[in-house]
Amino acid sequence: MNTILHVYRKEIRDMFRDKRARSAAFIGPFVGVAVMITFLSFITSTVKKQEGQKLYVVQTNNPELALLKKANNVVFVPSAEEGAKLIKKGEAHVVLQFGDPKPDGSSEVDAYFDPKEQLGQLAVGVVEHAYGAQNKAHLHALLAEKGLPTDADEQIKVVRHEVQVGDKGGAGDFLVGFLPYLIVIWAFFGGMSISSDLVAGEKEKNTLETLLISPAQRTQIVIGKFLSLGTLCLSSSLSTVVGLMIASQLHIPGTEEIFKNGFGVTPITFGIILVVLLPLVIFFASLLIAISSFARNPREAQTYLSQFSILVMLPAIFSQVIGLTDAAHAMWVNFVPVLNSANCIRMALLGKTDFASVAVTVAVSLVIGLAALRLTVFLFNREEVLVRV
Amino acid sequence: MVRTVDLKKHFKDGKTGVKKAVDGVSFEAKPGKILGLLGVNGAGKTTTLRMLSTIIRPTSGTAMVAGYDVVNDPQKVRASIGFMSTSTALYGRLTSIELIEYFGGLYGLEGERLKERVKYVTEKLQLHEFADRLCDKLSTGQKQRVNIARTILHDPPVLFFDEPTAGLDVVASQSVMEFIEEARDNGKTVVFSTHIMSEVERLCDEIVVVHDGVAKGSGTVASLKASTGQTSLEKAFLSLVGFQANYETAVTGTGVA
Repeated sequence: MNTILHVYRKEIRDMFRDKRARSAAFIGPFVGVAVMITFLSFITSTVKKQEGQKLYVVQTNNPELALLKKANNVVFVPSAEEGAKLIKKGEAHVVLQFGDPKPDGSSEVDAYFDPKEQLGQLAVGVVEHAYGAQNKAHLHALLAEKGLPTDADEQIKVVRHEVQVGDKGGAGDFLVGFLPYLIVIWAFFGGMSISSDLVAGEKEKNTLETLLISPAQRTQIVIGKFLSLGTLCLSSSLSTVVGLMIASQLHIPGTEEIFKNGFGVTPITFGIILVVLLPLVIFFASLLIAISSFARNPREAQTYLSQFSILVMLPAIFSQVIGLTDAAHAMWVNFVPVLNSANCIRMALLGKTDFASVAVTVAVSLVIGLAALRLTVFLFNREEVLVRV
Repeated sequence: MVRTVDLKKHFKDGKTGVKKAVDGVSFEAKPGKILGLLGVNGAGKTTTLRMLSTIIRPTSGTAMVAGYDVVNDPQKVRASIGFMSTSTALYGRLTSIELIEYFGGLYGLEGERLKERVKYVTEKLQLHEFADRLCDKLSTGQKQRVNIARTILHDPPVLFFDEPTAGLDVVASQSVMEFIEEARDNGKTVVFSTHIMSEVERLCDEIVVVHDGVAKGSGTVASLKASTGQTSLEKAFLSLVGFQANYETAVTGTGVA
């Protein structure tokens, strides 16, 4: 045990003096979170700005236009063709042409837009929503005039009642969608940057030989290395949570919607995250060391690692959209590595923790984690693997 | 002491089936003596030293180091040896002293004993001036001194040197050779692998000529010269490994010396 701790202490010291490890453990997750929050804030504020965008309207004789003339953000164009030119140039997102009023007082509005442009679709949606509200108000006025109930147009009315699940003020939609993904991804990528140095790098530099000729047992050496890499993986993953916690306190403009309930991760949720994360970290750290042990040099290790990273990313990406399916509650999800952990974290953030699912997830992660660790120890004791050059 | 009997190491090879890196090497190195393994690159010297230091297991044959069998008591063998090679790098992000203490810990040194030994090697190899400097920042000579400190920290009775002067300048090579001589004078068993004749002539009490994984001859410098009828160690070596006939044919066109 002393030798394991001795190797662990050395590896931690060595690792955290490496800029890449510091970056992977702290700077990367922090910066990643900061960039993501800034990006989302930018999108949110950009969408909001669309509300104040200029409205391009074709000059006609429709009396509605007299009202629009009073508005500052309306630009009149001579014809629909001219409006289409502006759309092609990208100067206008939507151009409206009001038709002549019909005898019954109604009128038709032609909305010209580029269906491939998202902002065009958005602008048309805003116009439809605005006139939809106006149509409804008009209908209600007519119904009232005829002495009929104003909600006669709604034979079936849907009334929303939000049910409080989990703690009041829990994580918002954004955190529920993204946080599990970030936690899981950084647990892998945090350790990936440095893992190739841990064994493959030592093979290349010939420092591994000096370790192998010491009286320390090979298993002790590799367990010490595994523990240090696990510490790095865990630090990276938790740094993401801390980074988001800090971001929630900074009140960055545009993030009001993202952090509408503050950070929203309760101590119980955090505890569940840790319980789910620890066996996953065992799995990732073992896998990374096994690959590093097998590879001849760091470049070969990086090649294998990038291929494995795709296998880790796919279930992690699926965890972001699992809420759109029924799979989130399905038992089989608990048997899919990585996805099961991300889903448990997601459910915890939603306040819907199913402890049976957590138990299965932890058990599955532990089994594959220990199997990967066994493989790592096996590889590290094989001279064919260690002296491959 | 170190004793090998018909030591062999065969590797599986995708192209040729089996590669016989070492194919029956026997020798005995005694305390207070330096035994040189002399051979060209790829002759099997490093593989032999790797078997003796338990990094790899022999395919067959036996090897005893400091009284322990390399297959049955690898941990005891490792505790009894120091291994040095110029191709061995240091941990660049550790300071010299941290690195030495790290290896001390791996060799089971702790507390006062560790402090005592660290103090000894620091003074002996004059490491004070760069003891707290990261190994990445050291000059080649300084790195070599740290490497030696790491090798002798646990005061092993057996020392293996695998081409310890390769890539070093004259001054650094000189200090390494002086260190090896001192180890011999202190009663250590030294096994020294090289392809540099002048080093062998200066250091080795006994030589084993290794070629294609096979011991082609052994003895002192003088006995090797005598047995091959050559006037220099270089010619004796070439003769033993079968290069001499080709060399003479090329030079004289007769093949007769």
